[in-house]
Amino acid sequence: MTVTLTGPTLTTERLTLRLPQASDFETLAAFFETDRSKFVGGPERDRGKSWRIFGHIVGHWPLRGWGSFVIDLGDGKPAGMVGPWFPEGWPEREIGWSLWSQEHEGNGYIVEAMSAIYPYIWNDLGWDTAVSNIEPDNAASIRTAERLGATLDPNAEGPDETDLVYRHKPGGYPK
Amino acid sequence: MTSLLLTTERLILRKPDARDTEAAIAFMTSERARHVGGPLDERQAWRAHAKMVGHWVLRGFGLFSVVDKATDRTVGISGAYYPIDWPEKELGWHIWDPACEGKGIAYEAALAARRWAYEDLGWTTAVSYIAPENDRSIALAKRLGATLDEDADRPGHSPCLVYRHPAPEALS
Repeated sequence: MTVTLTGPTLTTERLTLRLPQASDFETLAAFFETDRSKFVGGPERDRGKSWRIFGHIVGHWPLRGWGSFVIDLGDGKPAGMVGPWFPEGWPEREIGWSLWSQEHEGNGYIVEAMSAIYPYIWNDLGWDTAVSNIEPDNAASIRTAERLGATLDPNAEGPDETDLVYRHKPGGYPK
Repeated sequence: MTSLLLTTERLILRKPDARDTEAAIAFMTSERARHVGGPLDERQAWRAHAKMVGHWVLRGFGLFSVVDKATDRTVGISGAYYPIDWPEKELGWHIWDPACEGKGIAYEAALAARRWAYEDLGWTTAVSYIAPENDRSIALAKRLGATLDEDADRPGHSPCLVYRHPAPEALS
């Protein structure tokens, strides 16, 4: 028996941004075993807990009507996730991202993915603002936020007190 | 044909969704959730509900929201639960609304969910994992004809009792 999520598939030159599916779990679990996951709630070496983490990422879609997309390079395997994220208790709606293995870093995948995510959130979802909550020592994500033209909002509150809150430029895709 | 909507005399069992969020959080943040990993704070409670919703996608089955036909309120969840670290497939239930206790609501829901697991999902056996001090759930498991299985593997690290349900052929 198959139960599938409802939502769009977005495409860019190199990437397919698709809905998460059960077969993505093993790659996510491998990511959560590494320190690379420390900025998204990891590391988590208990597979049962990783499975529950994945479960709530999937469940975010039906509960909000939107959620985070799997970045698929065309081989069906997830390279990471990117997209809108707003669990209960978040001060405001966020755009989040993660790349799950070192080999995928430095290729501009997140910035490219955002060329499809921005139109989706501004036009399809009708958001008028969005933030990314980034831990101060997450240099890679800070660089990505800056490349996207997002700027530090010193007055905004993140889910964790120490988070830096980067605010995205509404309306378009900054070059 | 597999159904995602079950109806009983007093209840509708359907896939959980955003309509259940408020009641799910109210339950998981309350003392009533003490036997099922709670009480949680609001953030964790939302994620716990999202996890139950996501379970359906990851497994193709899950726990139904139990809706009282008379009030259209979600009064609990009941159904099939099989996270990756569970030794075997479970029939689980949480009754969220204390006003529904003592009326056989949980029994009515669990009977329908068990029939579905056997007939639609094709399960040949099922257990319920119950905290040793959860008297109400133990009573319900017994009323459903389940018996203590001392030899069965237990999930997780907390003590729990394993009640095994009668096999499908024993019920027909």
